Amino acid sequence: MSASTFSVPAAESVEVPLGSVERELGRRLKGAYGPGDAPVHRARMSNLIVYCTDDVRAAEVESLIPEIVKIHPARVLLLVADEHLKEADVKASILVRQAGHGTRLCSEQITLRAGGHAAKHLPFAVRGLLIGDLPTNVWWANSTPPPLAGPLLDDLAENAQQVIYDSLGWTDPHRGVSAASTWLKRFERSDADGRWRVASDLNWRRLKFWRRILSQEFAPAINPGALDSVTEITIEHGPHAVTLAWQLAGWFASRLGWRIQETKFKQGLEIAFQISAPHGSLRLVINRLPEGPSDIRHVRIACSIAGKPGALNFTSEDDAKLSVQPEGLDVAPRTVNIKPTSTADIVGKQLSDRDPDPVFRDAMVAAHVLAQAVLR
Amino acid sequence: MATPTPEPVNLLSPGAGSALLPQPCVLVIFGGAGDLSWRKLLPAVYNLNIDGVLPSNFAVIGFGMGAVGDPDEWFRDRARDGIERFSRQPLDEKHWADYSRSLFYVEGSFSDLRAYEKLKAKLEAVDAQFGTPGARVYYLSIPPQLVQPAVEQLKSAGLVNDPGEKRAFTRVIVEKPIGRDLESAKQVNASVAHAFAESQTYRIDHYLGKETVQNLMVLRFANSIFEPLWNQKYIDHVQITVAEEEGLAQYDPITGETTASRVGYYEGVGALRDMVQNHMLQVLCLTAMEPPYSLSADVVRDGKVGVLRCLRPFSQSDLENSVVRAQYIDGEVQGHTVPNYRHEVIDFNSKHNLPIPPSITTETFVAMRVHIDNWRWAGVPFYLRTGKRLPKRASEIAIQFKAVPNILFNQNPDVPLEPTVLSIRVQPEEGLSLRLATKLPGPKVRIFPVKMEFNYSSLFGGESPEAYERLMLDVMAGDATLFMRRDAVEAAWEFVMPVLEHWEQSRSRFLPQYQAGTWGPLEADRLIEADHRTWRTL
Repeated sequence: MSASTFSVPAAESVEVPLGSVERELGRRLKGAYGPGDAPVHRARMSNLIVYCTDDVRAAEVESLIPEIVKIHPARVLLLVADEHLKEADVKASILVRQAGHGTRLCSEQITLRAGGHAAKHLPFAVRGLLIGDLPTNVWWANSTPPPLAGPLLDDLAENAQQVIYDSLGWTDPHRGVSAASTWLKRFERSDADGRWRVASDLNWRRLKFWRRILSQEFAPAINPGALDSVTEITIEHGPHAVTLAWQLAGWFASRLGWRIQETKFKQGLEIAFQISAPHGSLRLVINRLPEGPSDIRHVRIACSIAGKPGALNFTSEDDAKLSVQPEGLDVAPRTVNIKPTSTADIVGKQLSDRDPDPVFRDAMVAAHVLAQAVLR
Repeated sequence: MATPTPEPVNLLSPGAGSALLPQPCVLVIFGGAGDLSWRKLLPAVYNLNIDGVLPSNFAVIGFGMGAVGDPDEWFRDRARDGIERFSRQPLDEKHWADYSRSLFYVEGSFSDLRAYEKLKAKLEAVDAQFGTPGARVYYLSIPPQLVQPAVEQLKSAGLVNDPGEKRAFTRVIVEKPIGRDLESAKQVNASVAHAFAESQTYRIDHYLGKETVQNLMVLRFANSIFEPLWNQKYIDHVQITVAEEEGLAQYDPITGETTASRVGYYEGVGALRDMVQNHMLQVLCLTAMEPPYSLSADVVRDGKVGVLRCLRPFSQSDLENSVVRAQYIDGEVQGHTVPNYRHEVIDFNSKHNLPIPPSITTETFVAMRVHIDNWRWAGVPFYLRTGKRLPKRASEIAIQFKAVPNILFNQNPDVPLEPTVLSIRVQPEEGLSLRLATKLPGPKVRIFPVKMEFNYSSLFGGESPEAYERLMLDVMAGDATLFMRRDAVEAAWEFVMPVLEHWEQSRSRFLPQYQAGTWGPLEADRLIEADHRTWRTL
């Protein structure tokens, strides 16, 4: 075996007794290099606990892990709590992968499966497998919104610094968004003992580019007074992207000090709000498109630029481009490149981004108010 | 007295995705046809474009001579070629189509006012096409002697806005070398200051854009174990090395033909001006500065200037004993025989019909012992070493801690323990390592040094953005933290001037030599060995 390469004996999961996980991992890593070779390094910046509730979702997540650990090397603890499984115990399996960007680096994954009532043992099984002195992240990878997850999530997140969830595809987005704001307030913490914990929604990260381009376009240095002249904002989103639209609306509302005056609601199609803003009143419309990608597709903002009334249209052309088209304004039309981001990419980046985000929290509070207006 | 109008707040910008929010502008590259633009700047802008971090209203105009045929098309072809060869991320046709539409070129001489009128007309057309609000970033990628005419013409042509202008801002990036001595540096700075306020001026040193260099402050001030030890009580000495494997000319490994040469720039400049006065002293400042009370640009830059002001000036005796210069002679690097520097100069000048200098005394290697006269660093020497045609390309800052007392494990004077060393690698593999003494397994107490390594690319994956990418974004965002302030540039020149003057006076006398492919001349070894220390092997 050459000094610069190594190979993992078999890149597949091997079932091991729960109590032997560390020993077996060590043995597999040792078997990855020959006598006289330099040892293989385990690359890990964090513990990443991923929680799924069925095998299909677990398989989806597992396919993302190589890419995630390339961006943020971590010890991955994949927990599968499948009520259809008959096993009453927690079953463990291990997998060692060669990291993509280092010839002598590898990442490790421990999968714990539990059926029925055994699921409640998972938080206990996990505690013994966390690497001390490293940050711990929990990725809540199922469609139940964290506020409705019950005590299991609290147990899993007991020693975590970050819980990552994804509101894309929540089955009842209005209730989910509404509950999330209260849950965030309870769940996030920062106490005098230095214990802190944040919660991060991958959808908020997906909105990063939209927030950035909108804030650039409406910067007073670029288009003075434009924000104070907004009369209507229309947000169009694809199926399953309702929460994205709520968050974008919540972001506008929290940043610009909006108050709801009136709500009109067409089930599954359109929600329209009459808003009172510091500069006057405006209309906010959220439209659900019948088909297309689960993303924000188009934002139209009616406003005045240089004293001329018109509108700016921001349209997602594909996953790598966004066009800016004016209507009746002296603004140059153009397209802007967007770096396409996969779920693995945003999870990987979110793992390194653990700062509390007050803008997110404020946006969720505002989104909660908007959602409540619809639920009433 | 009129109250100044408060700057309007962008209510949407907090949490908009990045602390650095680059502002819409047109980047004008003076010397757009040049090597730096081709190799670094255009690929850097392309990468920023691919990463989606450029402002939505943005365009690039190359300015200078050398275009063939349609200037815009020529510039686009040149950019494409540079991206294909040097870009961190490969050229993507889908992105290229959009990106290339934002590239333009204006042909003209930097001293010709008509060229600036053409540039002005082009800028106005680009503003109309791209919605840029009249904001400009002028990147002066031109020789120092052209800086003065360029900035004067910019001002005369009405292409420089008031420093208070927030929307249609004007900023200028000045490339090193800033002057070739203190006098000329002051002249360059004064010329730039004639047209641009200090707040509009960004003196770039790409070393400061490197991740490891930026990590220096994080390492020192975000880890409680280092700062208490970061002083004369615990540190024996510091070594800063910038070693380059390349010489001034590059050769085809098969035919032996010269493929590129920097002799035209380097001859008469030398390692002290090219490396020590800027990169190495800036790195020294970051290594030795006091903790700044905030991360704002001027506070950090005050801290760095504070170090330069404490550098002990070279006495006559120091000039003889604390500074070594040398030039490489024939040797072997990476298995290839390479010629001496003199040969490369003669070859270059012959090919370019330039006169052959009677004596070629430009140094390609410098080593020096530097002292910082403040409480923190009293008695701690900083050894600086840089050279071309050394065995490998490697740059690092090594902090060597004091040896433990000669008791317990350090009793044998013949085999002293290797001291603890914290090594911060700037290139090629950015990262850091800590050498510690540890017990070898077994019944006997045998001590062995082990190295704990942290490597950026292994841990964080992918490739870090190029230093130029980060620095150009900073300019668009108006953040000057990583750029050199006028006083720092002049203080650095002030420090090296006695060395330059001493060499000037003794130029034709003794110039040590070193064989290409070695770690420098014997004189450099003697310099550090006189203090009972040795250069680190990288």
